[in-house]
Amino acid sequence: MRRHRSAALLVQTRLPVVLALTVFTIVLALPFAMAVLWSLVDPSHPWAYPAVLPPVLSFRRWIEIWTTSALPQALANSYLLAATVSVSTLLLALPTAYAFGRLQFPGKATAQMLTLIPLAMPGFVGAIFFSALLVRFGVYSRFAGIALGHTVIFLPYAIRLLSLSFAMVRQDLIDAARDLGASPLTVFRTATLPVLKPGLLAALIIVFILSIEEFAISYIVGAPDFTTVPTILYSYLGYNFIRPNAAAISLILVVPNVLLMLIAERLLKSADPATITGKG
Amino acid sequence: MSASFSVRPYLLLLPGLLPILAFMSLVIGMALSQSVGYFNFSGDSGFSLRFWHTVLSEQQFWRAFWYSARIALFSSLLSVALAYPVALWLRRPFAGSDLVSALIKAPILVHGLVAAFLYVNFISFQGFLNAALVHLGLVARPIRMQNDPYAIGVVILQVWKNMPFAFLILTGPVRAIGDDILDAARDLGAGAFARLRRVILPLTLRSLQAALILIFIGAAGDYSFQSVAGPTSLNSLAQYMVRIQQDNAGHGWNEAAVIAVMLMGLSLFGSAALAALIQFLLRRTGR
Repeated sequence: MRRHRSAALLVQTRLPVVLALTVFTIVLALPFAMAVLWSLVDPSHPWAYPAVLPPVLSFRRWIEIWTTSALPQALANSYLLAATVSVSTLLLALPTAYAFGRLQFPGKATAQMLTLIPLAMPGFVGAIFFSALLVRFGVYSRFAGIALGHTVIFLPYAIRLLSLSFAMVRQDLIDAARDLGASPLTVFRTATLPVLKPGLLAALIIVFILSIEEFAISYIVGAPDFTTVPTILYSYLGYNFIRPNAAAISLILVVPNVLLMLIAERLLKSADPATITGKG
Repeated sequence: MSASFSVRPYLLLLPGLLPILAFMSLVIGMALSQSVGYFNFSGDSGFSLRFWHTVLSEQQFWRAFWYSARIALFSSLLSVALAYPVALWLRRPFAGSDLVSALIKAPILVHGLVAAFLYVNFISFQGFLNAALVHLGLVARPIRMQNDPYAIGVVILQVWKNMPFAFLILTGPVRAIGDDILDAARDLGAGAFARLRRVILPLTLRSLQAALILIFIGAAGDYSFQSVAGPTSLNSLAQYMVRIQQDNAGHGWNEAAVIAVMLMGLSLFGSAALAALIQFLLRRTGR
């Protein structure tokens, strides 16, 4: 009887897990496996119906994309932009996040709501009329234009993440360090920075990823000659759908960002002050 | 306390808040003024409602408008409807629940364009789905499913990308519902559906509305999914706006501005109306 019940319980708990894994395989693992296969199709042996698998696999397509397309330039543009944007966004977000995380003042809730406005703006509306503003103000540098746009639209994320980090800094530790005669710099180094650091790095990484992935502003402001990785992917998905190229660039866009995101998530988890100070 | 001390928090707000407010008001201001004839890049500038007349009397515009509204409505409702059962299932931790919830959130990390490509590649003539159907003997030859005229592909992509997002928003509030409340409902004879309608949905109403609003806004302004996987005979509003801006040399900017204002209106009022409707329905049936 007991065994019977535990078997039923096992079915009840395991079956949904198996089901979830099946769904995951169909909607995520298989499509990605297909993308990997397509990126490895040898250019001189096309994969066509009714062949179930590609006839010849090689890295020739990857080499071809790297040497003949604008991909190296797009990668350089994307990563340079992302580095610029993440640093400038963080610098602008820090003072505001400090006020949200550590100070009490009238109107704080309203101010916090206001920082979220960009999230409610349709991306292409922002992109098109931001590009109109750039023309109006005579900003013709594509790089500067996109960097400026990214910095502003990703500020809400950085402010939110850093506010949480600042709120986690413990006042008793700051007071204790101060009571023991530490200078403001030492107080910052011993009581604030260790708690703040993981959140800072995580915000840096997340804004970096968001900037690499941003499509609307990069596409509209960058057109026609300033390419980033998403705009180059879009060009292979449009009128001239080149499937192996799109597959390779999809992987180039997704894999590094997923790895970076896993690092960011680990950092955010480690940000609990108890784990740093050893105090509960 | 000195006066300068109380000013300090507001000074600290400036570097973060000022660029956001300046950007948003300039962008929205630019769209509004170009829609009524100001700040033209060519020709004379001056107040005029003719761009509104032109766009609003265009049949294509209204097709795009209602199409985007429909996609936004279906996508937000479907994403939330799918997220609830999953969030409820994962309410209490069990062996493997961490893995499952990590897998559910995975699509958030996949770029929209990559998702669109993966989907198109999956359903294409040479794709996995067709190969499987042929080999299982369900169809004789591959079927053409790409860019389907009913935009099923676009809704699938929206739900694929947004269901995890809705799950993320709902999972906290769903977990916060106490067992005692659910047990009490059960003891009073409420079935699973009654518990959902009269206990779970009302208690998570705010998060439900937040999820609906955010997904609605994102789907109403969609460009990428539509242009890669959407029906070729239709435009989404964002796509139509970009096309009008690029094609109409003379008044492209002004007409695109009208479309932009309408798109912002759809996002704002459409999502607010949806949130209000859900609240109204819950209040009425919850009695």
